[in-house]
Amino acid sequence: MKQLLLKLEPVIWLLFGQGILVGTMLLTGWLLVVGLALPLGLLPAGALDHTRALELGSNAIGRLVLLALIALPLWKGAHHLRSLSIDFGGGARDAAVATLLYGLASLGSLLALVAIARL
Amino acid sequence: MAPSAHPRAMAPARPGRTRTAPPQTAEGWYAQPRMRRYLLFDATGLVYLLLGFLMLRVTWALGSGRVAWDRVLANFENPLYVAFHLLSLVAVVFVAVRFFRLFPKAQPPRIGPLKPPPAPMIHGLLYAAWIAITLLFVTILCGGLFA
Amino acid sequence: MSDVERKTFVVTRFDPDRDEVPKTQSYEVPCQPDWKILDALNFIKDHIDASLSHRWSCRMAVCGSCGMNVNGEPKLTCKVPISDYSDTIEVAPLSNFPVIRDLVVELEGFLEKLEAVKPFILRAKELSLDEGTTRQTPEELEEFKQFSMCINCMLCYAACPVVANEPEFLGPAAIALGHRYSLDTRDEGAAVRSEIFRGEGTVFSCSYANECSEVCPKNVDPAAAVNQAKFNSVIDWATRLVLPRGGEK
Repeated sequence: MKQLLLKLEPVIWLLFGQGILVGTMLLTGWLLVVGLALPLGLLPAGALDHTRALELGSNAIGRLVLLALIALPLWKGAHHLRSLSIDFGGGARDAAVATLLYGLASLGSLLALVAIARL
Repeated sequence: MAPSAHPRAMAPARPGRTRTAPPQTAEGWYAQPRMRRYLLFDATGLVYLLLGFLMLRVTWALGSGRVAWDRVLANFENPLYVAFHLLSLVAVVFVAVRFFRLFPKAQPPRIGPLKPPPAPMIHGLLYAAWIAITLLFVTILCGGLFA
Repeated sequence: MSDVERKTFVVTRFDPDRDEVPKTQSYEVPCQPDWKILDALNFIKDHIDASLSHRWSCRMAVCGSCGMNVNGEPKLTCKVPISDYSDTIEVAPLSNFPVIRDLVVELEGFLEKLEAVKPFILRAKELSLDEGTTRQTPEELEEFKQFSMCINCMLCYAACPVVANEPEFLGPAAIALGHRYSLDTRDEGAAVRSEIFRGEGTVFSCSYANECSEVCPKNVDPAAAVNQAKFNSVIDWATRLVLPRGGEK
């Protein structure tokens, strides 16, 4: 398992790095809208109703954006939590923790593909 | 809050001739402000993980029809969701600020014939991109474009 | 000598023949105001307790011998003035290293990591003397010069949370040195080192805490080197996926 993890590290690091870079840039806008505008009632009527949201989400770029919004934060999250585990004396359990966390991220990414295909 | 170092940290392949005391991490090292910020940076991983799964739920609802979608949007008015979204926003900004500071110097001085721009320029470009993409995304979501 | 100030030094002691575990011992030292921590330690050894063992040499922050934990932070004791601290100062051996005796830590592990990155010019074929000196522009020198300034003081290893928890990790100074050679235009071993960087001591273990660069007394910025090395390693790895092995020198 450790050898497999070593082999996959470059890819994981790339996904994690993009999770921070691209993920952060996309998430800010999303969170401003659903976290601030929506509850404060600032969202224009119909802007995010199902028809329009589906239109936005189901075109090619929309699908890519959704994929980025789901998968990239998952990989960033998984990698950082693994790091946190190591910081707190987790050298010995690292292989198990990494498998669990990256497994979660992989599962989420797969489900993301399914969810996007359904649109 | 001072976890001990790994018992074999910095150990040589073969032991030396005398008995050594095991490696220690300094008492209070993890509690000093810089390390605290770093550990917080790592801890935002939990927020991102949850956000990723939340976005999955949102996307699933989008593909499940009007009723499911309206339910998700209605959920977002719930104070718990609002609190989580605001916490996420804080986490995202915290991550961005730290990452944008550390990213420029992590670019190799040259890749083949290509040289990256000077570090302060990369730093500025990252912020510019962040603001631009956010504004664009917000405008689109709020119906200002592609209505 | 009215400007002499008495300070208390709480120093970690460990005698492998007598002690089960390290313990601390307090010394009252009459300090000159312009002293560094090292001056106080040498005073202790010279006038109070000759059994104290500590490493030091140049007294001017270029040899890298005198690294220790001062009030829990890795420092070069010849560089840090006692005036930076209050009346009680704790001196302990460098974090994350096995301790041989008192303030002296085991270096072998570090030296093994240094060796592992092949820190020398690697060429497929040595140039003959007839071909003259190798030319390098000032710009080419600038690309790696900063990373060549390392004095091997190991403060970065004491500061790194990954070194503390992952024994195989190559560590900041070793990776910075390897990267220094990979960036050198005279070197042809970047691919070899990229593979080493993806091996057991993987550079990807680094979590970019940046502590190594914060404590470095020579502004080497090992964190920059390690993270540049990650980037280069990924490019090398991706290139290998596409190009056959015969494509390398």
